[in-house]
Amino acid sequence: MLLLEYHSLLIHQILTERFNSPTPVTIDQVIPDFDGVIYHISTPDSKTKILISLSIKCYRDLLKYGAQDVLQREYGSFIVDPEPGYDFSLLLDLETLPEDKEQRDDLIRRVSLLKRNAMAAPFERAFDTHYHLSAESSKFTSESAPSSSDTEVMAIHYRDEEAIYIKPSHDRVTVIFSTVFRDETDRVFGKVFLQEFVDARRRAIQNAPQVLYRNDPPLEIRGLPGVNDTGAGDIGYVTFVLFPRHLKPERRDEVISHIQTFRDYFHYHIKAAKAYMHSRMRKRVSDFLKYLNRAKPENVDNVKERKTASGRSFKVQS
Amino acid sequence: MSTSQTPAVVMDNGTGYSKLGFAGNDAPSFVFPTAIATKAAAGGGAAGGRPAVAQKPSFLTGGAGPGGHLSAKRGTEDLDFFIGDEALNAVKGPGYGIDYPIRHGQIENWDHMERFWQSSIFKYLRVEPEDHYFLLTEPPLNPPESRESTAEIMFESFNCAGLYIAVQAVLALAASWTSSKVQDRSLTGTVIDSGDGVTHVIPVAEGYVIGSSIRSIPIAGRDITYFVQSLLRDRGEPDSSLKTAESIKEEFCYVCPDIVKEFSKYDREPDKFQKYVVDQGAGRRATVDVGYERFLAPEIFFNPEIYSSDFLTPLPEVVDGVIQSSPIDVRKGLYKNIVLSGGSTLYKDFGRRLQRDIRHIVDARIRLSEQRAGTNVRSSGLEVSVITHKRQRYGPWFGGSLLGQTPEFRSYCHTKQEYDEVGPSIVRRFALLGGPGGNA
Repeated sequence: MLLLEYHSLLIHQILTERFNSPTPVTIDQVIPDFDGVIYHISTPDSKTKILISLSIKCYRDLLKYGAQDVLQREYGSFIVDPEPGYDFSLLLDLETLPEDKEQRDDLIRRVSLLKRNAMAAPFERAFDTHYHLSAESSKFTSESAPSSSDTEVMAIHYRDEEAIYIKPSHDRVTVIFSTVFRDETDRVFGKVFLQEFVDARRRAIQNAPQVLYRNDPPLEIRGLPGVNDTGAGDIGYVTFVLFPRHLKPERRDEVISHIQTFRDYFHYHIKAAKAYMHSRMRKRVSDFLKYLNRAKPENVDNVKERKTASGRSFKVQS
Repeated sequence: MSTSQTPAVVMDNGTGYSKLGFAGNDAPSFVFPTAIATKAAAGGGAAGGRPAVAQKPSFLTGGAGPGGHLSAKRGTEDLDFFIGDEALNAVKGPGYGIDYPIRHGQIENWDHMERFWQSSIFKYLRVEPEDHYFLLTEPPLNPPESRESTAEIMFESFNCAGLYIAVQAVLALAASWTSSKVQDRSLTGTVIDSGDGVTHVIPVAEGYVIGSSIRSIPIAGRDITYFVQSLLRDRGEPDSSLKTAESIKEEFCYVCPDIVKEFSKYDREPDKFQKYVVDQGAGRRATVDVGYERFLAPEIFFNPEIYSSDFLTPLPEVVDGVIQSSPIDVRKGLYKNIVLSGGSTLYKDFGRRLQRDIRHIVDARIRLSEQRAGTNVRSSGLEVSVITHKRQRYGPWFGGSLLGQTPEFRSYCHTKQEYDEVGPSIVRRFALLGGPGGNA
């Protein structure tokens, strides 16, 4: 498994099972997802009405950047008033589902992408701004093009100490992740890992987005509220620069899904790398143990039993 | 990220199946075989050769193929594996070998277990382990070294926020608290844990397993399936595959109070005989008659001689023996709280029959000692009670979910900071969860 899935496997599984089973049952499950997202899937009123609620830490940020429109577009008539304690709720009625198998699968797929869609709003807005700006700037000659620094930087504080910053401009969209490592080992792994990111572009994949890693806040976000250079270097900033070729409308959904999972992907691979290291270490230890066992002295007892041709045995004293 | 509101992850990795889920839920989110399919050769897996040297995907080496010493070691081969049901599917194709990292309840292959957990956490449960507390289970008499290795993986590979390792039998006791029959939430009782491979009878006193008194019975779910299969074969039914036998076992079997009476009941009421339709695929169907195996199959717990020739002690006698070999001051509690757990205890009236048989044994012994003691002494009797409850199938997991959602759970866990301070030996001791100290 190289990449993480974008959708919640469990929601997908539950809904597939529910949609295809003739007998409705009560469900009441709390399902966490990455980054402190919590889903609550339940059947509060009757067994055929499934309520799916989402609690996401940065919902306020997302609302500010147009999450309501994106969710409205994706889920439309399924949206209901949010359940207390949650930010957003959907109600699926098993009795009024689309008949068509494909439409049902599509609905399951869309619902299980709830987190992705909620988080997609700022990215979509940034991409739209980029289209707009690039259309504007194509009117100018290169000298008189407006400077790109006047666009707003969108900040999504999706975890307590970490945030995503998105800054659109006329020739690119910059996405900056701030990352915190609480473990010394992880920081080292993280550095190697990011180095590989940078190298990959240099060596083979020329059309990959540019990746930068630094320990002080990049210029784009310096001076924003919440961004302060502690100087201790415990916060790292990973910058992705998405060029127009990544922002083509047909690739946009894929790019948004991809970049959202970056942090989880990053941490997953650090952990997978550690697991791999451990398996090599175990292998090495068992090799060394073999050498040690081989080095044990032979049986020191020199009295051997031998047999004569007739079958009688006698002892040989050395 | 603060871990204050994230639910704890409960993982019950058994020999056959792993149960994964979140504390507070009433059922595990995922139940799949504890199996891992890797690219390495089957069987020994990485135990035999060096772990497969990872090849870098060609797009990262610029199409030049693996070059250089270091770059040959970087790559993604170690991520090429499947777990659970996907593993079973993967081995049907070429290139993958399957391995079961847990044998007899204990983890044998740590490499595979580490990767099994990795995939469980990131692919199935989709959580960042740094944000969650974990509750794992272990079999009774698990060596402390094994606990330490588990802790090393959980804390050093995954950096999980906190860890608690509980004994499955204790969690099964906790799961029985949902039964209406249980008034006081004590952690004293006898757990009968019958899974697929083996049945254990485990006495637990105040949350601690009495190791010397544990008995295992080589009769469990798989044997019942084989027994049903052999009955079907004897009758020459059109389909007697293991799968058919298994579904018949799960769908039709129950425990009867008396075999002889049950036989005559079947003679009087022909509707007791049932039919089971097997879909053999490709549109073919076969109808299998289901008869006496309905009550004969679970009967092998109570009369093992009808199935096995080398193990002849009925389950009630084993349970009685276990309790009699335990310290005398806890025996009363052990008789009073006999808890069932595992899939092979789900037969209808299993608990009732067990309770009756154990009570017979106990009453007979009391009578005998009354006779020996003389005429004037009367025993006040002994309460025998077998607890059946709705959560039996995934008993240990459910107990974990129940205890994992209590507010004090976190204070019982060892956290990452404590682990960094003390080292792996910290997990040799855990405060007793839900015990007399706590108010769970």
